[in-house]
Amino acid sequence: MRIKFPSLPALGVYLALACLFAGAWLTHPAPGHSSFARISPVSAVPDTVVKPIYTSRFASSGLVDFVHSSAVTALPDGSLMAVWFAGSREGAADVQVRSARFDVSTGEWGQEQVMATRESTQQSTRKYIRKLGNPVIALAPDNRLWLFYVSVSMGGWAGSAVNVMVSDDFGEHWSAPRQLITSPFLNISTLVRSAPVFHVDGSIGLPVYHEFLGKFAEYLYLSADGEVIDKFRISHGKNSLQPAIVALDGQRGIAFLRYAGTTHHRVLASRTEDAGQTWSEPFPLVPSNPNSSLAAVATPDQRLLVALNDLQEGRFKLSLYVTDAKMTDWRLLHDLDKSPDPEGDPFSPLAYKEIIKIEFRGSSGKLREPLEAQFLANLDNRVCKNRGCEFEYEYPYFIRSPDGMYHLVYSWNNTFIKHVTFNDAWLSERLK
Amino acid sequence: MISLWQAHASFAMIIFLILPSFGLNRGWRIALLLALLAISFIPLGGLSLAVYLRSHIDDLAITSLVFMGWGCLRRLGMLPPAQHGQTSVLILFAAMALVLYPATMGLSDLDPYRLGYSPRPLLIFVALLTFGLFYLRNYLAVVMLAGATLAFVLGTKPSHNYWDYLVDPLLGLYCCLALLMLAARRVYRRLTTLRGSMRNGSI
Repeated sequence: MRIKFPSLPALGVYLALACLFAGAWLTHPAPGHSSFARISPVSAVPDTVVKPIYTSRFASSGLVDFVHSSAVTALPDGSLMAVWFAGSREGAADVQVRSARFDVSTGEWGQEQVMATRESTQQSTRKYIRKLGNPVIALAPDNRLWLFYVSVSMGGWAGSAVNVMVSDDFGEHWSAPRQLITSPFLNISTLVRSAPVFHVDGSIGLPVYHEFLGKFAEYLYLSADGEVIDKFRISHGKNSLQPAIVALDGQRGIAFLRYAGTTHHRVLASRTEDAGQTWSEPFPLVPSNPNSSLAAVATPDQRLLVALNDLQEGRFKLSLYVTDAKMTDWRLLHDLDKSPDPEGDPFSPLAYKEIIKIEFRGSSGKLREPLEAQFLANLDNRVCKNRGCEFEYEYPYFIRSPDGMYHLVYSWNNTFIKHVTFNDAWLSERLK
Repeated sequence: MISLWQAHASFAMIIFLILPSFGLNRGWRIALLLALLAISFIPLGGLSLAVYLRSHIDDLAITSLVFMGWGCLRRLGMLPPAQHGQTSVLILFAAMALVLYPATMGLSDLDPYRLGYSPRPLLIFVALLTFGLFYLRNYLAVVMLAGATLAFVLGTKPSHNYWDYLVDPLLGLYCCLALLMLAARRVYRRLTTLRGSMRNGSI
């Protein structure tokens, strides 16, 4: 049998192809993965008595719009920046991503600013945008402020893509939004809701979730410049959403998951021992979860604070729990907000108005107090349906700022974004 | 600022390939392709028609652009019909789509899309595949895979994932449907041949 050698041009093609693939191989090594960055808040000086602090006020000021899905971050000057979405209803074309700043000297939130609209996102991403949702804001250790939010070009939330904006001057100016490429299927079905986790080398771990063929959570790994360089599955199947990740040390972390299944209705958790690269099979915890978002943060003594709706159904009560790192011992610290009806049953509009007037006074903070009359006049289908008016306290977002204060923002009856602050002294008092 | 050349080229080529030939000669077909390219720039509500299409089909893979370019050149009579392995191109990209999409979107515990972020094993596989296809003289598939890899090296798309250069849902869907049609045609032919031979046997 004679061996047939390829012709000279064919050899040239083989050589060119070999060079091409060798070049691709050399220029695309596997991305590195660094440890979780640990932020060390300033701890109280020993032997000094710190007064317990627990305060609340509204971060938003609009009286007409449906507001939802808030997030907050601490800035180096001690101020805070919160973001949320607001519009005529969830999923409406007029929904905007809005922000406000908390002035530490006055202890109040300033005017609302528009961060992103359907039109601004459309112009920058060069895609038709139907609706916006779920903004998340976080300050990176390199002092760049990141804003992530969801946009939909077609279909419902399952058709979402994640957009990103970045600011180099603590939110004074922002880059134009661009879309992260997170999925091979038309770049749809990736949503963001919870706080990112930063890594030692500046890379960003963004907890995301899918809602298309499955309902599962992922840990998106972004370079310090916000390019997607890897991703890791946290859960599988069709029953978990919106991972809230807490780093315990450089390698260990916990993801709390919203339960979207139909069997046990409990909060799920998954552990990582390698800074987010692999995750344990999610397991149910003690608190209930009525398919609602939750948020968690670590305390200096390695405990975990978790804000959640500990209910089988409805979102009429938002509670603050503390648990150990093993998540076996759960203790209710405080009900942040709850309906006067223990079952969360709806009230008639008249009765509701009387109750929410009192709730408003207890929650608004001084600056927003004069809005009471207008607020009561504007109560509408955001809280009242055919069966009556309901209380809804949901979508918490939790951070611990570098000064050691805990900040929690959440949707207050979809009419305001409420901000609750407390310190370790308040926590110690509640733990006694 | 996102470069939209790909969106405009995709718009023109997709519609050109969907439309029938209308018995036009080569000159008129070129004019039609250019007219479609011009139409892709027509603004509607502040966005061009190409952008609307891009909003629904996303940026196509480089392989799709090569495949559509090849299809357009054939339609224009500038390339002869493929002599070898058109079916193997369909099988290759249908298999890629069937491996990638259901698993990535949550129907499997494995996520093959991750391979595209650390692409060295995938590059070796695609390189071997390309060499094999070149040996088999399947030049269309070779140009598609080599073009995708070259674009990946140059970073012509915003994605850092090799898969996004190799395959897209439109290409996957086309290949699956084309394979189904080929299979149906083959079954029909076999059945008619069988019926014919049975008739001949009964006489």
